[in-house]
Amino acid sequence: MRCQFKLTILAVIILIVAMLAGVFFGTADVTWADRWAALTGAPDAPRTLSLILWQWRMPRVLVVAIVGASLALAGVMMQTVLHNPLADPYLMGLSSGASAAAVGAILWLPSWVASTLGVPLIAFLGAVGAFVLTLGLSYRRGTMMSPLVVILAGVAVSLMFQSMTAFFLYVGDPHATRTALGWLMGTAAGATWSELWLPLAALCGVTVFALSRAQNLDALLLGDERATALGVPVRGLRVVVFCAVALLAGLSVAIVGIVGFVGLIVPHMARLLVGGRHLALIPFSLILGALVLVVVDLMCRVMLAPEEMPLGVLLAIFAAPPFILILRRVRHAF
Amino acid sequence: MRSDPMIEIENLSIKLGGLPRVDDFSLSVPKGAFHGLLGPNGAGKTTVLRALYRAQKPDNGIVRINGKPLSTWSQAAWMRTVGALVQDGGSLQGLTIRDVVEIGMMNLPLSAGERDARIAEALQIAGLAEMAQAEAALVSGGERQKTHIAQILARAPEVYILDEPSNHLDLCYQILLLDEIKRRGKTVIATFHDLTLAARYCDTMTLMRGGRHIVTGTPEDVLTQDNMAEVFRVKGQLENGMMRIVSAIT
Repeated sequence: MRCQFKLTILAVIILIVAMLAGVFFGTADVTWADRWAALTGAPDAPRTLSLILWQWRMPRVLVVAIVGASLALAGVMMQTVLHNPLADPYLMGLSSGASAAAVGAILWLPSWVASTLGVPLIAFLGAVGAFVLTLGLSYRRGTMMSPLVVILAGVAVSLMFQSMTAFFLYVGDPHATRTALGWLMGTAAGATWSELWLPLAALCGVTVFALSRAQNLDALLLGDERATALGVPVRGLRVVVFCAVALLAGLSVAIVGIVGFVGLIVPHMARLLVGGRHLALIPFSLILGALVLVVVDLMCRVMLAPEEMPLGVLLAIFAAPPFILILRRVRHAF
Repeated sequence: MRSDPMIEIENLSIKLGGLPRVDDFSLSVPKGAFHGLLGPNGAGKTTVLRALYRAQKPDNGIVRINGKPLSTWSQAAWMRTVGALVQDGGSLQGLTIRDVVEIGMMNLPLSAGERDARIAEALQIAGLAEMAQAEAALVSGGERQKTHIAQILARAPEVYILDEPSNHLDLCYQILLLDEIKRRGKTVIATFHDLTLAARYCDTMTLMRGGRHIVTGTPEDVLTQDNMAEVFRVKGQLENGMMRIVSAIT
């Protein structure tokens, strides 16, 4: 327990350093003294730099940290309640539903509708629609909601929305298609302070819920029957977790588009470091998820500067090697 | 005191996929008794136990533990009273053997010292003390079964519901662990396929076939030549505490 606590503190320190780096580094060529003056709000700080740091980089770094933490927490809960190491927050068709809705809105809706509602809200509604469809297909009265049925329903719903997205892209205007593809690959560019509060509130609420149910989530690792024998209300817990995951993943998709791999790999990395008990796993996964996304977002900004890479592309490149290592370690268990 | 019923099952009926798995089954197990549920494959033994630990809702009938219907138990009271060994495999992702034992003790009003002492004792009895920090997902089937039995031993409930407790265990630990459970003198209901083992531990036993109750009594009353032929389709009977099987009846 002491080792887990020390690791968590260390991860917090690294996260703070990474977030400061995310605020300090970018394409603008400025001195360290100016950067520090702008960050601390000194009166002699260059006005443009203050604007870049406070209105552009700071909200962006905070948004990606919140999204990374949200996706990691959602991944932990999905892998636990579905007893599946390959489960991720998008398993219930959330990303596909959001993609189809967002791409459809970008390509086909009149511009005044898209600008009034906003693509993020439309994407969130698409994610919720896909989630409700998956839940409806999996729900059966009097059963514990079989993880296998949930996964198969999620795959079916994902395929349906993926084919819709492909159709929209195929027949859409080529110029608008590029905008839609950019959204699909995920980006935190243009994040604002006003976008922070809703996902932050959702993340705090779901974290409190998950920590309060940490023992029941632990029991679910023993299997549905054993958890039931321990008095855990398995079906009720599973439905609430699905709703919480839909909220976190839906809001994340709405803000930065589809960011894969974080919700799949971070929970495994966290389990290797602090074990599978949720009271230690949840806080560590939150920090690790935020850290991974903050670092990758920074690299997206600086690697091809002044151009910017989509988050999804770089995440895929960096996610593969650790995933292979994790697979080598855990494959005997499944 | 022995005559007070701890487990009461009245007219239990359960259908799975439209087929009756348990049909109008009734049973009463007194406090402190070790009761066996025996029968061939598909007899409905596990389904009865699943109804007892609340994983299977009955289509008809009522089940009580310590006089209380199952639906009225709070999670905390249930944890203190009932311990179940079930046939189910979870992922056990990231858990050590000690974690698995400790998870079974949630909601128990114990100090950290008492908890650690109980876990250490249970792991010692199950022969897992040296492996406490091993990854539970990577151990053998027998070691996993011992881990789950250690979890129940550490909880020390009033009622033990055991589905095939001897599964995957070597002979030594079949005896050691069942001796320990018997020694505690609590109420036990367990399914067995090994009839000699059942005769060794059970005070009373029930034979089931096709989801129905056939006969209940002491091992000597139940494991007779006629009952063995009717329920298991074998020639044989209990002799001096050992099952003597002559042949299958084809």
